[in-house]
Amino acid sequence: MTATLTDRYVWAAARSVPDAQRRDLERELRERIGDETDALLEQGASPDDAERAVLTELGDPVALAAGYVDRPLQLIGPRYYLTWWRLLKLLLVLVVPIAAVGVALGKAISGAPVGDVIGSAVVVSLSVVVHLGFWTTLVFAVLERTPTAEGKRGIDSLWTLDQLPATIEPARTSRLAELIAAVFFLLVFAAFLVWQQFGLPWVPQLEAVPLLDPALWSFWLPYFIGIIGLEILFAVAIFLLGWTWWLAVVNVLLNVAFTVPALWLLVEGRLVNPAALDAMGWPWGDAGPIVVTVTVVTIVGVALADVIDGFVKTWRAGRARRAAA
Amino acid sequence: MSTDDLTAGHLQELRRGTVVLACLIRLRTADYGYALLESLNALGITVDANTLYPLLRRLEKQGLLTSEWNTDEARPRKFYRTSPAGERLAEALTGDWKLIDAALARLTGDDS
Repeated sequence: MTATLTDRYVWAAARSVPDAQRRDLERELRERIGDETDALLEQGASPDDAERAVLTELGDPVALAAGYVDRPLQLIGPRYYLTWWRLLKLLLVLVVPIAAVGVALGKAISGAPVGDVIGSAVVVSLSVVVHLGFWTTLVFAVLERTPTAEGKRGIDSLWTLDQLPATIEPARTSRLAELIAAVFFLLVFAAFLVWQQFGLPWVPQLEAVPLLDPALWSFWLPYFIGIIGLEILFAVAIFLLGWTWWLAVVNVLLNVAFTVPALWLLVEGRLVNPAALDAMGWPWGDAGPIVVTVTVVTIVGVALADVIDGFVKTWRAGRARRAAA
Repeated sequence: MSTDDLTAGHLQELRRGTVVLACLIRLRTADYGYALLESLNALGITVDANTLYPLLRRLEKQGLLTSEWNTDEARPRKFYRTSPAGERLAEALTGDWKLIDAALARLTGDDS
């Protein structure tokens, strides 16, 4: 016995609903298809044409069945969409950098080459992004399909006034606060570079010994202080002009100009004064490579964070300008 | 979107609730899906089969309609009937419908 088109249609629709509702749905669909086919037959259509016309009109059987049993045809509907989106953004911003830095640090301490450290951090970041996206979405897709008790809300929280963003757009006042903070930090840093030449009074072993190699005064220390000067000018430019794409690129160049020579000198062993190392009893047993690694990761991390911060602020400023236009 | 589609969309929204009311009133005498569809359309209450069948199921789930399978004929048919709860809802909806009608009448009266 060959199955008719109607049999196949009903089967396709019924298998997509829970067992408990299958039998009822089958009977209802057969009733509807039969009645609609009869109506066409009365108008003079052939049985084959009538059946085809009716089933075509009904459309995709799975979609039809979903309509009958009130099953959502979207992964995450409007009730949970915003909660899902906010949680996902929060998780990505928090977890991905922590995972990347953690892996980079672990790899670096174990003595892996630079390429391996960067490669592992990238691979782990990507897989963390995929996992966060997948599992978060899965939980919300399940919630979307879980009926909530009568008269109860789901886990979507009630919106309150407290959730309004603090400011409509980054105003000049917050830029002024950023300028003051940046200039203060840069001046303290420059002062430290000069001051360490005369020893660090709060470290007993270094009371009269320069921390950084005094040979660097011939070029590199003036160079770093020069870069700090440029950074101060840059902070003023940001205050006056706001973030633009070319200023974000300048920010990258300044970070590279500072970080790359600093790392190079550190790795070459030319950054720190040998006399200071002796005074501190370097290397501290097995801790030497770990301290160097943590220092390198910190320097790279700070520079990267600054570069990313610049681009994010540029993007936000662009968006605010477009919105205002 | 053309003006016709726009009009059709708004008309559909305006009529959505009235189909529920029409079903509740019409099903004071029990009937099955296709007959209900035909009689509503004959009365000028246009409703699509893809809307009506799922709607009947939903109203039954909400306790506003009761149903019973009639297997006397060759083709088994599900007969729906308005429940007491459905009757009360029909009264409330009818009352509201009259209020809206009166309000709209006042609104158009002010214009002229």
